[in-house]
Formats: sequence, C-alpha cells, structure tokens
Amino acid sequence: MKRLAVALVLVALAFACTGQVLASEPGTLLIWADEVRSEVLLDVARTFESEYGIPVRVQEIAFGDIRDTLNVAAPAGEGPDILVGAHDWLGQLVTNGLLEPIDLGDKAKDFVPTALEAWTYDGALYGLPYATEALGLFYNKALVPHAPATFEEALELAKAAADRSKGIYGYALPIPDPYHTFPLMTAFGAYVFGRTASGGLDPLDIGLNNEGAIAGLELFDQMIEDGIMPVLDYATMQGLFTSGRLAFMQTGPWELSNVRQSGVDYGFIPVPPIQGKPARPFVGVQGFMISSFSENKLLAQAFLNEYVATTETMLRLFELDPRPPAYLPALEQVDDPDMAAVAQASAQGTPMPAIPQMSAVWTAWSDALTLIANQKLEPKEAMDEAVAQIRAIIEESMKR
Amino acid sequence: MPTAHPSRVARPIRLGGARPIRLAAVALLDALALWAGIWLGSTGAWLLLAILVLGCAGINIAFLSDRAYPLRYLLPGLFFMAMMVVYPIIYTVYVAFTDYGTGHVLTKAQVIRQLESRLYEPPGARRYPFVAFQNADGDLRFLVTLEDGRQILSEGDQFHALEPGDPVLLDTDGDGTVDGLAGGYQALPSLGIMRHLGALQARVFHYGEMELRVTSLTHFARLSHRYRYDEARDELVDLQTGTVYRPVQGFFTSDTGERLSPGFRSVVGWRNFQTLVTNPRVSRPFLRVFVWTFVWAFMSVASTFVLGLGLALLLNDPRLRFRRTYRSLLILPYAFPAFISALVWRGLFNTEVGLINQILQAVGLSGVPWLADPFWAKVAVLLVNLWLGFPYMMLVTTGALQSIPEELYEAAYCDGATAWQQLRHITLPMLMISVAPLLISSFAFNFNNFNVIYLVTEGRPPIPGAGTPAGATDILISYTYRLAFEGGSGTDYGLASAVAVVIFVLIGTISYLNFRMTGVFEKVGENV
Repeated sequence: MKRLAVALVLVALAFACTGQVLASEPGTLLIWADEVRSEVLLDVARTFESEYGIPVRVQEIAFGDIRDTLNVAAPAGEGPDILVGAHDWLGQLVTNGLLEPIDLGDKAKDFVPTALEAWTYDGALYGLPYATEALGLFYNKALVPHAPATFEEALELAKAAADRSKGIYGYALPIPDPYHTFPLMTAFGAYVFGRTASGGLDPLDIGLNNEGAIAGLELFDQMIEDGIMPVLDYATMQGLFTSGRLAFMQTGPWELSNVRQSGVDYGFIPVPPIQGKPARPFVGVQGFMISSFSENKLLAQAFLNEYVATTETMLRLFELDPRPPAYLPALEQVDDPDMAAVAQASAQGTPMPAIPQMSAVWTAWSDALTLIANQKLEPKEAMDEAVAQIRAIIEESMKR
Repeated sequence: MPTAHPSRVARPIRLGGARPIRLAAVALLDALALWAGIWLGSTGAWLLLAILVLGCAGINIAFLSDRAYPLRYLLPGLFFMAMMVVYPIIYTVYVAFTDYGTGHVLTKAQVIRQLESRLYEPPGARRYPFVAFQNADGDLRFLVTLEDGRQILSEGDQFHALEPGDPVLLDTDGDGTVDGLAGGYQALPSLGIMRHLGALQARVFHYGEMELRVTSLTHFARLSHRYRYDEARDELVDLQTGTVYRPVQGFFTSDTGERLSPGFRSVVGWRNFQTLVTNPRVSRPFLRVFVWTFVWAFMSVASTFVLGLGLALLLNDPRLRFRRTYRSLLILPYAFPAFISALVWRGLFNTEVGLINQILQAVGLSGVPWLADPFWAKVAVLLVNLWLGFPYMMLVTTGALQSIPEELYEAAYCDGATAWQQLRHITLPMLMISVAPLLISSFAFNFNNFNVIYLVTEGRPPIPGAGTPAGATDILISYTYRLAFEGGSGTDYGLASAVAVVIFVLIGTISYLNFRMTGVFEKVGENV
C-alpha cells in the first residue's frame, strides 16, 4: 500500500515536472545563455522589466548544448526568443530554418565590420555581434626573456627554454586541432573555402591542400620531429603552461582568466609572422540571435537594439568574459593590453566559415593532423586525402 | 517425512485493504491521466495520447476486474516496457526511413508556415520614420513621414494623407514639433512603444495600395508576404517573381531545380539503407569496424571473466587473510563513475606525459605510442575495459561459486584431481549455468559500449587511406555517431537510425542464436 502511494506520488511529480519547460510566450521574452553571460543578462532583464513591465526570463544552458537544444526544442514550440552563441552555428541553424534575420538599423555602423561579416549568411544578417576572438601566443616570461618578433625567433627561444629531462617543454598547441593549426598554414597561403564572384563562400574551392597549406604543415611536422613541439592534447597543454612548465602556448583569449589565476608571469601577443608573412588565425564572433519560432520577434529585436547594443551592457559582458567587444564605442573604452593583442589578431584573421558542411571539414582535417603528427603519413598525402573526403561529402550534401 | 510448518507454505500474496482503497488509487491515477491527456491533446501529441489512454484503460481493467488478477502484476511492467522500449524502437525504425537531419528538421506544415510568414521589402522601398501618439484609453495613432515629406496619419489600420497645418496636429509647447493630436492624444517617446510591440507585430496598415508594418521602434516599412501556399495543388508560389515551387524530396523545388531553404522532413524510403551499402565512404570500413566490434566485445567479456573468476577463486580460499580488505579494494573500479575513469585513463595513456609511459621509461623500457598506434590503441581500450569490468565479474562469480556444493570438491580431491582438473570439470560447468546469461548480456553491452571507446580514444587513431572518418578503435556504434554527427553536414538522424536498426538486427540475431545454443532458457531438467 505504501509502495503504491509512493509510486503515485512519483508519477504525479513526473507529470508536474513536465510543465516546467520554459518556452517562448507572447508578451514575454525568453533568453537562452550560458552561465557566464546569463549573469549580465539577468541584470539587463531586470532593468527592462522594471521599465516596461514586460517579463524577461533568462534560462541557463551550457554553451555547447544551446545549438543542439535549439534544433530540437524550437520546432516543438519550446524554444526561446533570443539566444547567445557563436557565429559558426549559423550554417546549421539557418539551414534548419531556426533563425530570424536581424535588423540593426542605424546601429550597424557601430560594429566592427568583420564581426558583421561573420554573422552574415546567404546575404542576411542573423546575429548581433558582441565579442570577437582569435588565438594568439602566450609565453612564460620566466622561461622566455623577451617577446619574439618573428616565428623563427619564437622557435629559437622555445628550443633554448626547453629541457625535457626536467619536464619543461618549448612550444605547444593542441594536437590535433585544426583551429589552432590554421595560423601556421595561412601564413603560407592556405585557406578553407575560396570566395565566389559575389563574395560568398564557394564550398567546392577548398584550399586546404594547396602549396601554402602543405608548406605550413611541413613546418608543423618539422617542429614535432625536432622535438620543439610535443604532441599534447588541450588539457595537458593548458596544465603544463599554468604550472610553469611550458614556454609558449598557442591558444585563445578564453585561457586568459585561467592563466591570470595561475600566477604565471605571462605575456600575450598575436602569433608572430612566419617567414615574414602574417599568420592569420580564425576569428570567432559571439553574438545574439533571434529564433524564428519566437512569438515576439519585434520585441526581441527592439530589446537587442536598445538594451544589448549599448556601451554599458557590452562592457559588462566584457568584464565577465574578457574578449574584445565587437561594439566600437565599448571597444574604445577597453584598456587592457591583452585585449589589444586579441583585437590585433582578430583584425588580421578570417572569420570561421559557417556553412553546415564545416563539421565534415573539421573531422577530416583533424584526422589528417593526427596522421601527420604520429608520423604515419606525409603532409601532402594526408591533406590530399582529407580534401578528397571533404569534397565528396560536400558534393553529396549539395545533392541531398 | 517432516510436515511443513503452516507458516512456511507459500501462499499467494493478498493485497491487503478492501475494494475502496483500490478504487481510490485507480481513481487518482485516472485523474492524473485525464490531466495529462488534456495537455497532450492540446499540444496535438496524438500518438502519446493514444498510448496513455490504452495504458490507463489497461490499468483500470487489471485492478478492478477480478478475472484479470494476474494482469495486476504484469501490467505496470508491460506498460513501461511499451513506452520506454517498444515505442523508441518503432520510432527509430520510422526515422530510418526519413531524411530527418540538418536541413530537414521542420515538418512540412512548419516550413509552409515559416515561408508564408516571410516578409520582404520590394526593391527600392524605403523606411519611413514615425511618431506614435496615445490617448487616455491607450489607443495608438501613428504619424508617418513619407520620402517626399508628406505626412500621413493612421486611423485604425488605415492611413490618410494630411495637409501641413491640419488642425488635428497640435504643437502644445510651441517648439515646432508635433507633440499631440486632437482628441487627447499625447506623443510617445520611441522607447514608450516597447510595450505595444507585441500587438503591433501582427497589425498591417494600409495607405492606398501600400502595405505598411512597424519594423522597429522608429520606423515603418513596406513589407509584404513573399510566398503563398496553394493547398489544393500543393504548390508554393513566389509572389515576387511568380515562380512555382513543388515539394520534392524534402525541399520546395522550382522547375529549374532551385530549392527553398529550410527543407522539411519527408519519408525517403530505403535511401538511408542504400547509402549504407552503396556509398563507398560509408560502407568501405563497415566490415572492418564490424569485425573489430566483435573482437572487442568478445575480448572484453573473456578478459574480465578470466580475471574476475581468478580473483573470486583466490578470495574464496579460506586460507587467505584480509580477504574482506582485498575485496573492498577490488570493488573500487566498479564504484567510480566509468565516465571519469575513462577520461583519467586517457590522461594516463598520453604518450608524452602520461604516467604509464613514465613508469615504463623509469624501468628502462621505451614508451609505447599508446593512443597513436592502431594496435596499441586497441590494447589500451581493452585494458581500460578490463579495469572497469572485472569487479562486476568478480562479484557475480563469487556469488555463483558459493552455490557449488563442497562435496564435489572433496570427492574430486579424494579421486586425486589436480586444481586445474577441478576447475575444468567441476567449477566451470557449474558456473556456466548461472553465469552464461550474464556473459551474453555483457557481450551485448560491450558490443555497444560507446562510452569507453569514445572517451578514451574517440574511435581514433584514424585509419590512413580509409576515405571516411573511421578510426582504428571505432566500434559500430561510435562509427555511426561520428558518421551521422561529425562526418557529414551537421546531423543526420536518418542515417544514424538506419545503422542503429542494422546493429539491432545483428545483435538480436546473434543473441537469439546464442540463447538457443546454450539452452539458457530451458528449465533445469527439461532436456535431460
């Protein structure tokens, strides 16, 4: 009898819980953000609500889960009005018909042009950019006497600082990680997708196995063979740097807070030019999007234009998540030299392509890097194979 | 012959309490079901509603009718099995025949609704600034300035042209700007419209032939619908260009082959299964991955069983001291979450800085390229699975060992049998009766053991020259995952479901044959 009662209570609770999923409702706003950004958005929401009486709710969802959750929730009517994410989600989300074009009106001129370009897909703007990031080079001032001016100098300093017997390593980037390896390749002229005459991306013009790419990867291979660069994954590399056993770490500004907390005396510069040519990293832009299943598109648009695209909100977002703002009035007020380095790196970078076929690109490229790093294949063979795979997938998907 | 004590005779359990309590419980359940059913009906989830109604009817019959007495014990289990096992299987099989995935996530009705609600500005159209006015009742009127400076004023949803100096415009503070209208209307600052945006979103205003809509806090725009759906002929017409689009394979396609985005999910028949067989990118590594999956599952079961049994036999020996301590320590791998253990092992196997290589190098051997070399990566995942799985086998065999009568061993000892002969001829056969089903289920579990493979190696290292994202340690399920979610253009649930169906058929057949051959489901003494 008791068991039956318990079972009934549990069933009742289960049913009650199903009503808790937050969904977009007319007359209110629902924002999906991860825990870092939701703090700022809650404040903005409170101000907005107190002025207009329109309830604004912020739901915390892990950053990596927002896109996938939107894919499933929005068509079922359980999606938000506004969500925060990265610009390379555009491909999938727009092809799935989940995003609404955004109209910045006069405020468009207040944003960094590359950021707006990153958020434009198929000719329409789908996001309000707020932060740009590109990777650079961290160096440990205790192991490296001065900032290197060129990449060759960096390798020299790395070789001098490394001492494997004591567990100190020279230069590291996560392997295999196409995002981190790209600057080495672009310096020699590699690119992912070429441009069409109208300025869009041409998915059939793949520059990952052109001469520049191969030259860059041969440098990569050489660094591993010479012992300057150990084959490490991201977590190990980060652990080594924050414990002071790595001279150079090539990664992005998201590591700044960890590195600052670790107490290592660090410097952060854009990746130095390789053989005199600039190393262009990928630029990632974070921004706010409006769901096409929202019941309050006009309201969401007005909220974004009036309350998010303000210097105050942009600076608060910057405080919690240090990346150079994409909003020019806020960017001018940022005084941090590390941020200046990131902004410089972003300025010479290219936005990550956002088309949905990118997941195939990352996978094939990553596999090729693994084979090169493990000395199983030469760079040319590995990349030729990867590009053949990518091309096959893209052609297949264009027919689907 | 000893008579059985009355209290030890097995009697059927009578659920205490009279009919009223049973009635009350069923009534409560019916109330909950009614509430859930209304909610399901309002959201249009007809299939779930049907299942709920059937389940509820079944429960009512089972608990209220005396003839359906045995059903009371079976029905809850059957209901949940239907909901949690049978329904997902049927749904997966259904999805395998569709193209559900990136680009085909919405239903056709949703796509039509979205395309029909798309508004476009005719080329050369401009945005017109407006000022809003509100009276005490909350009614809104808008004063819009057109490109040539003309002003128009709204009345309801219609705009009328105004002459400059029209008496309806008021300038109460004399600063040259209009800040009021006759009839008690006050000008609203642009932010003040925020509250009304929800209602304004749906309103269409007309001025002559122009359709005007509010597009921001400060501007109207000439926006019109772009597409119109003709349900009778199942066609979508582009009102701007006149092109006609028909639904073809999940996209609205024009006669020239132009496709409208987004697409919708549609049934594509056997296409996903055909891809499995005919597309070399998918099918080439299939056999290789299948063979490795088999080897992996078999070796996992064999290694964990051998080690588990060995330890159980050791710990069963009464001459060993501190048995309890050993047993507690040996259970620990089973107690840690497998997820975390797998990630820790991944760090330990790191070629450069991993602990295992450091120990090997300290002893004088060279480091092993654990996760980089295909062979050693396979050894690494097998070792991790061995570490994770042997406590389970140890526990299970310890229990089974207790059930073997001691007299058999004494008799064997008297006959001069060695320990190995005792093991082979007494222990193993007696164990197999109770442990065989567990071995088969462990095999099936490891056949689909996505976690260990994905967390330790992600299926890598990649196979050079495979032309596909298959890795050396990929098992069928991790290969499917990478194919469907990492290898193509976004996610491809249709293909993933098709592979899942194939795996299901394979494992089901193997398990069935296994069960038949080992006679596991026969009752004891049936085939003697």
